[in-house]
Amino acid sequence: QTEVKCTALLIKTKDGYHVDDHKLSKEELETKYGTNIITGLSSARAAELLAQHGPNSLTPPKETPEIIKFLKQMVGGFSILLWIGAILCWIAYGIQYSHDQSSSLDNVYLGSVLALVVILTGVFAYYQEAKSTNIMSSFQKMIPQQALVIRDSEKKTIPADQLVVGDIVEIKGGDQVPADVRLLSTQGCKVDNSSVTGESEPQARSCEFTHESPLETKNIAFFSTTCLEGTATAMVINTGDRTIIGQIASLASRVEDSKTPIAIEIEHFVHIVAGVAVSIGIIFFIIAVSMKYYVLDSIIFLIGIIVANVPEGLLATVTVTLSLTAKRMAKKNCLVKNLEAVETLGSTSIICSDKTGTLTQNRMTVAHLWFDHQIFVADTSENHSNQVFDQSSATWASLSKIITLCNRAEFRPGQESVPIMKKIVVGDASETALLKFSEVMLGNVMDIRKRNRKVAEIPFNSTNKFQLSIHETEDPDDKRFLMVMKGAPERILEKCSTIMVNGQEQPLDRSTAEAFHTAYMELGGIGERVLGFCHLYLPTDEFPETYSFDVETMNFPTSNFCFVGLLSMIDPPRSTVPDAVTKCRSAGIKVIMVTGDHPITAKAIAKSVGIISANSETVEDIAKRLNLPVEQVNKQDAKAAVVTGMELKDMSPEQLDEILANHSEIVFARTSPQQKLIIVEGCQRQDAVVAVTGDGVNDSPALKKADIGIAMGIAGSDAARNAADMVLLDDNFASIVTGVEEGRLIFDNLKKTIAYTLTKNIAELCPFLIYIIAGLPLPIGTITILFIDLGTDIIPSIALAYEKAESDIMNRKPRHKKKDRLVNAPLALYSYLHIGLMQALGAFITYFTVYAQHGFLPSTILNLRVEWENDNVNDLEDSYGQEWTRYQRKYLEWTGYTAFFVSIMIQQIADLIIRKTRRNSTFQQGLFRNKIVWVGIASQIIIALILSYGLGSIQALNFTMIRPQYWFVAVPHAVLIWVYDEVRKLFIRLFPGSWWDKNMYY
Amino acid sequence: MLPVEPCHSVSLLRILNNLALRPAPPRPPRQPFQLSDDQDEVNQNYLADEEEEAEEEARVMVVPDLEEEEEEEEEKEEDEKEEEESHSQETDSAWWRKLQIVNEYLWDPEKRMSLARTGQSWSLILVIYFFFYASLAAVITLCMYTLFLTISPYMPTFTERVKPPGVMIRPFAHSLNFNFNVSEPDTWQHYVISLNGFLQGYNDSLQEEMNVDCPPGQYFIQDGDEDEDKKACQFKRSFLKNCSGLEDPTFGYSTGQPCILLKMNRIVGFRPERGDPVKVSCKVQRGDENDIRSINYYPESASFDLRYYPYYGKLTHVNYTSPLVAMHFTDVVKNQAVPVQCQLKGKGIINDVINDRFVGRVIFTLNIET
Repeated sequence: QTEVKCTALLIKTKDGYHVDDHKLSKEELETKYGTNIITGLSSARAAELLAQHGPNSLTPPKETPEIIKFLKQMVGGFSILLWIGAILCWIAYGIQYSHDQSSSLDNVYLGSVLALVVILTGVFAYYQEAKSTNIMSSFQKMIPQQALVIRDSEKKTIPADQLVVGDIVEIKGGDQVPADVRLLSTQGCKVDNSSVTGESEPQARSCEFTHESPLETKNIAFFSTTCLEGTATAMVINTGDRTIIGQIASLASRVEDSKTPIAIEIEHFVHIVAGVAVSIGIIFFIIAVSMKYYVLDSIIFLIGIIVANVPEGLLATVTVTLSLTAKRMAKKNCLVKNLEAVETLGSTSIICSDKTGTLTQNRMTVAHLWFDHQIFVADTSENHSNQVFDQSSATWASLSKIITLCNRAEFRPGQESVPIMKKIVVGDASETALLKFSEVMLGNVMDIRKRNRKVAEIPFNSTNKFQLSIHETEDPDDKRFLMVMKGAPERILEKCSTIMVNGQEQPLDRSTAEAFHTAYMELGGIGERVLGFCHLYLPTDEFPETYSFDVETMNFPTSNFCFVGLLSMIDPPRSTVPDAVTKCRSAGIKVIMVTGDHPITAKAIAKSVGIISANSETVEDIAKRLNLPVEQVNKQDAKAAVVTGMELKDMSPEQLDEILANHSEIVFARTSPQQKLIIVEGCQRQDAVVAVTGDGVNDSPALKKADIGIAMGIAGSDAARNAADMVLLDDNFASIVTGVEEGRLIFDNLKKTIAYTLTKNIAELCPFLIYIIAGLPLPIGTITILFIDLGTDIIPSIALAYEKAESDIMNRKPRHKKKDRLVNAPLALYSYLHIGLMQALGAFITYFTVYAQHGFLPSTILNLRVEWENDNVNDLEDSYGQEWTRYQRKYLEWTGYTAFFVSIMIQQIADLIIRKTRRNSTFQQGLFRNKIVWVGIASQIIIALILSYGLGSIQALNFTMIRPQYWFVAVPHAVLIWVYDEVRKLFIRLFPGSWWDKNMYY
Repeated sequence: MLPVEPCHSVSLLRILNNLALRPAPPRPPRQPFQLSDDQDEVNQNYLADEEEEAEEEARVMVVPDLEEEEEEEEEKEEDEKEEEESHSQETDSAWWRKLQIVNEYLWDPEKRMSLARTGQSWSLILVIYFFFYASLAAVITLCMYTLFLTISPYMPTFTERVKPPGVMIRPFAHSLNFNFNVSEPDTWQHYVISLNGFLQGYNDSLQEEMNVDCPPGQYFIQDGDEDEDKKACQFKRSFLKNCSGLEDPTFGYSTGQPCILLKMNRIVGFRPERGDPVKVSCKVQRGDENDIRSINYYPESASFDLRYYPYYGKLTHVNYTSPLVAMHFTDVVKNQAVPVQCQLKGKGIINDVINDRFVGRVIFTLNIET
């Protein structure tokens, strides 16, 4: 339902951009905005307007106030339960105090400790969150943009955010348009509107009113688009959030942020644990009350049960684990903004990827050449290193000369040390490609151009569709002028009468023309942009050295050229992408390409990176192969589909769903950015976890809508980065795949961590239950439990985050977000009812040993609770007739706590080792491969040693020095746990898919 | 921030909400201006025909804005009504659906499953758990059995936690404050009853019948097997003289001279160090030392004779009678609470543990009213 809403909102925004300034004349504009085209605004008026409308910058999305974030940490997760526990403690003390003023402060301490635990874990989680957000803020500092503005009749350079409506600005090639502007005068102005429309084709801009819609007319340019070439003078008509970009960006903030999958999983887990805690607590509260315990005592039991059941340290551990992975991913160029997004990537089942820049290198590169009736392949890899085609032909010499000379692009000066492919070029994409190609092939292009001085030039324009220049030749003996021309192949061919083959001019006959067409179609068919090249040597008699060429009157021939060759260019795929796509496929992730480009180009790139695999066909392909009309082809037969924006426009959501469900390889071509949102919503209707890449402002709603929005670090706009959950530092699709791997690993490892942590809860809980029912002296105290949960168990559970994958996690399907839960029934049951109970048993054996060896045999302590805890009984008899004072009993009880604690710790070591794997034997996994696990084990032992022998005399902590032999009582049980789990895993491996596998594999 | 007038934007939002509440819209969402789709005929030909494009653009232009708005105004009214009805229905049915799901989870008649398990699956799981817990029970039995094998029934393995010995007084009635009024027997009668009851086991006749009269001043060591029954030394009630209750059946309470018995906690194998018997001495804990002018101790030595040690444990030393020291507070300040501390004195006796006020000492208050 929200899907419909946000799509509609987006459409509304575009429709709602009500501007009629493009229809007004310059004079009307001047009066409307109270400005003057020649003198500009006065500074005073500008300041006034600035105060009125605010700065010309996008309002950053509203951040949740820090205090709210902090409070959320304080009450989120288990915190509420612990607060209840703390408050119950204080209430209990209050009741005690009203009865007996001298009652002990134990309950106050316990309540304070619980409160402290909540606050500390909350502060910790908050700190972790804040730290990971900080990585982003460093990113957001951008160099402030400058604008050239006319104010008080003077040209001034001011920061772009100071612009106000009515300002007259000057824009030149290479600048970003500083606001929404109405053009007043232009010279060959072209803009790249990709940040609004997603299409990177240059669009001409002039001052004529050409279209009703402000978005279509040529005399308006938009904020944050780039002026590619030419110059223009323009009047600012909208600033900041009122610009079209501002509106799209603010729309993104309205798309509701859905919960991340891992947040849902953790919530689910918290619900399970809290449910168990509360229901056991209440059941035993009722039991206790009906067993005639005082209500006050029953409340204290309730607190104990809650504390024993809640894994206090777990959420902090999860945060640490996630931030560890986030750090690891940052090293692999995936910067995660929101910690939880770390896992989202792992559960991703569909990636909607941009083409340009993400799958491709984002630069035009010469891919093929055609001369001498032959197609040659050029190297399109990132560094162009090995150009292997035959360069001996004389035709190549001519062709290379045309490429070099008929080109207006130049390297920006001062980059001598930069490798050719990385140099910055002034000029459009195709010319840049040709310049770099010739620089690689021939060496210093500038030098060649200097030697062949340019005498006249007709730059490319859309009516001619060709570019022509006339040069002196570098051969001092040859006084002829060389005329070189490039352009649309069919136009070039029209102007030619001969063709060069092996350096010889031959007449252009029908068969050669045929060969030309075949080559042209072939190159065009694989989505490449084809250019034709021809030249003509002007005879010296007609055009002597002193001849003055006039490009206006064209006092030179423009036909009977000699055709030299074709050259085709493409934005080639990144070399790492095909591999990454294959990985995605084996990982069960569907990669959908969404691009503004032409379907043919899109399909070609999709094929070359493997998004459409080599042997799959689209409906159209099948129709062509079988010579059938498209309608008669069974759509189920086609694995691949190329859907254009036009088709998408006429589709109902059901039809889109059908396409998404039936085809495994899909390319969306010529889509507008808002259609990206529709596609994302379609994918989400398939219950998929969708990752979307994007860079433009207009992608931000889709990025926000997606389960994980991935913005580009290099090409991305601020708005896109704000809306995204993750930033790709290198803009490379392959980085997403490494991210997926990390995400899947963390999910597996979180399962292990949770299983590890949940296990001991039973061992902590049973003492309370038995204490209530059988009246034994309390085997373990609440504070001691906290020392396990927040002391010995913390480092080991983090250590599991470092565990390597058990098998190739990139070979299995992405998890189903509703079926493959983080905490599932087998995990909970196995942890609670198997290992947990075994642990409880082991700990109880230690407990009984301690009491029996000190004089209290099990039969004696049964139902001894009331007398045991009676402060007035100072001569309580044990099984041997010895008499104990209350404090001696208390001390023995603490010894019991310590022994119980140590036993749980010892068995948690075994638990840690078994949790290293879920299916494989721990020996297969390698006992010592994850060193951190051993650090964890050492930390457990050291912490326990310190608590028992270092802090033994601190009364409040209830630890005593226990006899060394009690450390070993639980060791056989630890071994038993290990053996039992190995047997479980063995059966799982032996009988995959069996009943055992289904019920015992978590 | 919407570019439209505020009132309009509100109505738009409402429409959108209404849209959202309706089940899947029958028509595709309204088309946006296709500003880009047709603009760039990205052709393999680098030089596409711009004029043609412009024409194409004009053709796909969408309905003018004005008309659209009117339509929406109408829609809005209808939708608002619809919204109210559908809202209540929806919540009802949502609850009903949830209930059904729960019901189906509990018992699914189609698949014959309860709690997502078939009968077979249930029986299998019960069997497995039965065997698992049976073997766990076996393990715990085995463990307890070995534990008992290592534990002697006669002698506790460790006694360090029960040492040094604690002290307890009689009569003891939930409190260590002796508040009574000499002239009101009701206020002290329960002390008398308590003492009488406590001393039943010390009756001379009983002691003479059950226990032996062993030589004083030396340990009563009985070597021999652990499991041999041990003899116990007599501690006769009459040893307590004025506090025996034989002569004064009110133990002095009726005269404002109360008797309080002091008993040292039993510890198996405990022997006073170096053969010096443990003595008892009482004094005012805080305040004027003269508040207690005289105390008589019975036996007069105010000590626990060595012959009552060592204790061999309840299993073999069946008739062991704890020795007592009676304190007869013959002259205590009346009508005032007097804190009294009675300490054990002797080698190896600790009587100043801060946390434990019953180890080697006992503190109580006497408040005798007349």
